[in-house]
Amino acid sequence: MIRTAGPRNDRQAGSSVHKPDKTRRRKRASSYGVVLLALSVLGGIYAALLAPQSVAQEDQPANQSTQVQEGGDLYRTGCSTCHGLDLSGGAGGPSLIGSGASAVVFQVESGRMPLNAGVQQAPRKKAKYSLAEIDALAAYIQANGGGPELPEGDLADGDLQLGGALFRTNCASCHNFAGSGGALTYGKYAPELRPASARVIYTAMQHGPESMPRYSDAQLTDDEKRAITRYVTFLQDSGDVGGASLGRYGPISEGLVIWVVGITVLVGMTLWIGARA
Amino acid sequence: MTTPASNTGGQQPSPPTGQTSAQAGGSIRDRLQSPRSSDQASGSGNTRESDLRENGFQQSNSVADLHAGGRGESQYDSSKTPQVTAEQELAGRKHPLGPEDAKSAERKVSALFLLSFLGVVGFVLTFFLVDNDYASSTRYLYTPLLGTFLALALAGVGAGAVLWAKLLMVDEEAVQERHPFGSPKDERSSTAQALKKGLEETGLPRRSLLRNTLLLGAGSLALLPVPFLFGLGRFQHKERVLATTAWREGVRLIRQNGTPVRLGDLQVGAIESVFPDVEHGTKIADSPTLLIRMRPEELQVVEGREDWSVDGHIAYSSICTHLGCPVKLYEQQTHHLFCPCHQSTFAANEGCKVVFGPAARPLPQLAISVDEEGYFYAQGDFDEAVGPSYWERDT
Amino acid sequence: MSLLEKGTDAGAVWVDDRLGSSNFVRRSLNKVFPDHWSFMLGEVALYSFVILLLSGTYLSFFYTPSLSEVVYDGSYVPLKGVTMTQAYASTLDISFDVRGGLIMRQIHHWSALLFMASIVVHLMRVFFTGAFRKPREINWIIGVTLLVLGIAEGFAGYSLPDDLLSGTGLRIAYSIALSIPVIGTWAAFLVFGGEYPGVAILDRLYSAHILLLPGLILGLITFHMMMIWYQKHTQFAGPGRTEDNVVGSRFFPSYAAKAGGFFFLVFAVVAALGGLAQINPVWLYGPYDASQVSAGSQPDWYVGFLDGSTRLMPNWEIAGFGYTVPLNVMVPTVVLPGILFTLLALYPFIEARFTGDRDYHNLLDRPRDVPVRTAIGTMSIAFYVLLMIGGGNDVIASVFHLSINTISRVLQVSLFVVPPIVYFATKRVCLALQRSDDELVHHGIESGTIRRLPSGEFVEETVPLPAVYRISLTGVESDRPELEGATAHGAEGQSKGPGYGDEHVVENAPERVPGFFRGKRRSGPSDTSAPRPEGAMPELERSGKPAPPE
Repeated sequence: MIRTAGPRNDRQAGSSVHKPDKTRRRKRASSYGVVLLALSVLGGIYAALLAPQSVAQEDQPANQSTQVQEGGDLYRTGCSTCHGLDLSGGAGGPSLIGSGASAVVFQVESGRMPLNAGVQQAPRKKAKYSLAEIDALAAYIQANGGGPELPEGDLADGDLQLGGALFRTNCASCHNFAGSGGALTYGKYAPELRPASARVIYTAMQHGPESMPRYSDAQLTDDEKRAITRYVTFLQDSGDVGGASLGRYGPISEGLVIWVVGITVLVGMTLWIGARA
Repeated sequence: MTTPASNTGGQQPSPPTGQTSAQAGGSIRDRLQSPRSSDQASGSGNTRESDLRENGFQQSNSVADLHAGGRGESQYDSSKTPQVTAEQELAGRKHPLGPEDAKSAERKVSALFLLSFLGVVGFVLTFFLVDNDYASSTRYLYTPLLGTFLALALAGVGAGAVLWAKLLMVDEEAVQERHPFGSPKDERSSTAQALKKGLEETGLPRRSLLRNTLLLGAGSLALLPVPFLFGLGRFQHKERVLATTAWREGVRLIRQNGTPVRLGDLQVGAIESVFPDVEHGTKIADSPTLLIRMRPEELQVVEGREDWSVDGHIAYSSICTHLGCPVKLYEQQTHHLFCPCHQSTFAANEGCKVVFGPAARPLPQLAISVDEEGYFYAQGDFDEAVGPSYWERDT
Repeated sequence: MSLLEKGTDAGAVWVDDRLGSSNFVRRSLNKVFPDHWSFMLGEVALYSFVILLLSGTYLSFFYTPSLSEVVYDGSYVPLKGVTMTQAYASTLDISFDVRGGLIMRQIHHWSALLFMASIVVHLMRVFFTGAFRKPREINWIIGVTLLVLGIAEGFAGYSLPDDLLSGTGLRIAYSIALSIPVIGTWAAFLVFGGEYPGVAILDRLYSAHILLLPGLILGLITFHMMMIWYQKHTQFAGPGRTEDNVVGSRFFPSYAAKAGGFFFLVFAVVAALGGLAQINPVWLYGPYDASQVSAGSQPDWYVGFLDGSTRLMPNWEIAGFGYTVPLNVMVPTVVLPGILFTLLALYPFIEARFTGDRDYHNLLDRPRDVPVRTAIGTMSIAFYVLLMIGGGNDVIASVFHLSINTISRVLQVSLFVVPPIVYFATKRVCLALQRSDDELVHHGIESGTIRRLPSGEFVEETVPLPAVYRISLTGVESDRPELEGATAHGAEGQSKGPGYGDEHVVENAPERVPGFFRGKRRSGPSDTSAPRPEGAMPELERSGKPAPPE
């Protein structure tokens, strides 16, 4: 701050010294404001006019083509930096050739992609793209590399009992009996299944993200995958008949409750009973 | 009714009502921060200064006086300090309660008992009337409501009884003498005499033949239950049973639903829980096996086991060598098998050697091959015992 | 006379005519119990055991302990048509098809958790106040036995439903039995009836759980209570309280009302938990299958310390000459608890040996007055808690997104580093608290009044500590406690627990031998090492009055 440096005490002298400073500051502020405003207007014009737009294609009667095109645009904007313009991967990400639409649905709908750099394991986040955009991306990747695709229909339309049996055989050892998640080595984890949609559950089995193994249709048929999806959505939707679920983690939360709630309350009662009135 | 506290144990009569003693617990400083309810039964409302004076505190002209402490200084001049007993210090408390207070206390207690009754009514109604069917929407309320009413019913009686004791029953300090532990000496010596006399009469100290055969005969009775214990177990071929599983040469690998596994079913990075294709194969507890597929170049084949795997497909026993939990947690990217029970970690691409955790031995590998129809089969049983170690285990 | 009084009279006469019980009844009615709040913790254990008996009896009418298989056809839809053991199916029936069955099951399980927790809290109270000293060593041993039996009983109980979680625990138990040298395979085959899983374990666990163990526990509890009744409860020092009396309230009506009321309150807490907090949802675990397991499998909390020790043990195994000794299994699950519980059971004798204290003790110590014992106690608790945390390391890693490997390593190191630190810190805190007590007794309470002396100095005036508190601290009824050789930590006539006298601040106190465990006095009127006169009992010499200084 440019100010004549007088002795300290002078500042406590009359306020007449300040008035010129204040006016100068106000003038400076307003000039900044004008410049800022101008820049914003310019920027807005720039954004509106020059932002990448869907290039209008010559007549493409098939919807799918448009979808693939849209997917391509989304891909180039949001994914190509890491996965390469030709999907063959790069320093930041693996090749997507052969991953298929299934992988895209899983990763993008669960918010794991786009990935923030420098994490041990891609965490679930709020999805950045809408479902339509996700489908477009998926169509694009599928068209340009092939791979597992989602089937049609209700993915959670399966046999509940079969789904339970398959879940306990294949899934519980990592994700816990109720899908509450489990630990893997060195900071990796099998995530909690509660927030996952039916599409994400189904495609996870197809795609085998990160540490998770993948299950081809020869291993788990489409019916079996739907059964598992049905069971997982059942776990999500079902309430707990015995009261509060305590997180469905098992004896650890139960032990915590008995000490933190049970013993605390009872010791409090003994204090009340033992106190002289 | 009855005179209080007479008993043959020499109990002293309880002190007159209105006298209580303070509790020995709690933070002393806290209790003393609150204004004292009374002082020597002479009523409260003294100023601090007069308090101090009455307690014999004297002006002193030197710090030394004040801090001398416990050495005959003014604070502890017993001739000036009135003797205050513990009972008298808190005598200001009103007890037993006057008639209005007692009535109000009675009402409180009765309200709690009534609450209990309501709790029971609620419990019974909920028990029979709330629908608990799987299909009904009220099934999530059933148990919580039962618990709430039950808790209310019980707590009403409980809190009522406690409050009754605290408010309406005499809050006394009864004193009872303890009787001395250990009997008087003459008692002890007579008992010792009786024992000695009896022992002599048996003749045991003198008759060594009798004594020795008694020990042999009666003592060996204690061993009688032991043979019965052997009936509880099935010990035939114990070691062989532990050292073998149901896998044999040519036995196909099947899934839990019974379908055999074929080359090509698994993609790279996939696993399958497999069982021997024999009768009840999926139920035999030592035979569950894990089939893993990885890229052949990722697999560091253990020496001597070159033909145990097929095109990156490798099979290991899934019974953990630590304590027997099934190991099915496979990390596709690191090729680690992770046991959820105690976190033993095995490197599946390096013969399942232990890389972390309390397991001492790698998971045994099952030699597999593919038949003409493309199905996987075992080349034989595991070459070592599966699962946890035991004394007779010979590697 | 009122109807109630007439009825009581008639009833008493009827019984007395047959049993001659009048004297006993009167003594019992008038029996005095000291009423500190911490003396009620053992009651929580007693009451939760009663609740276990009641709820368990009801459950036994519906449960089938059979391993034979059946196809489920009850009302829980996701398991309909699934093949499962009868044990599991009957548990599902209790949970879904018996009215009130689920809350009874949950009350039973919560009560079991509370039973063990209250035993531990009660044990800590008894330990820290020194209530295990002569003549109560037998009761202490019974208590430790009850703790071990409780753990076994709980394990048997939660294994009965044969669900995936508890079945995994059974597999681990089998393997632990196997790991014992020489007799391991014999023991495992004996208990389970053959190779795992065998055909017998559930029936045998059922017998143990409803007959053998409750019988033992009930018998031991009865003896435990009889000892308290006969020896009378201990009490803290305070006005009118001596080694030779009990001060409190009479059993009838006051103590009985409070104790009885407390039973209902404990039951109410358990009922609230049983209805409002779901526990052991076996339908979600699924039936047991030896090839399946859930992530985050743990035993109930009271077995958690063994799970932790197992997880944290290095993977050592000795093999040679055709034999194997799996130290990685045997040490944390057999050797460690064996040592811990043996030390715990023998502690009264260990302490008596080191302090040389063979006196009777009916007055309790305040924990701060026995720093070494208190520090040993907190150190053990720290060790135990670390093991328990180890038992939950995977859930901690999964919930908080930490590396499980790091957690394990940190805990392994902490097991050795933390307990000594806790010991040291506790001891210092105890000594500081002792000093603060000394300040109160000898200098009084800071009154908050500042006085300015003519010399210009400011001094704070102090007020003598009211008699009530002084007596509680010093144990003697005198306003000049130091004249009687009493300090803020009890009367001269009382022998002290370990660590008493360490760096003690009070002047005028007879010389103490400082150091770890050696609180023995070199001189003093009631030197415990002096031989007692023939035939005299120590208490009769100390009938509440301090021995005259020599």
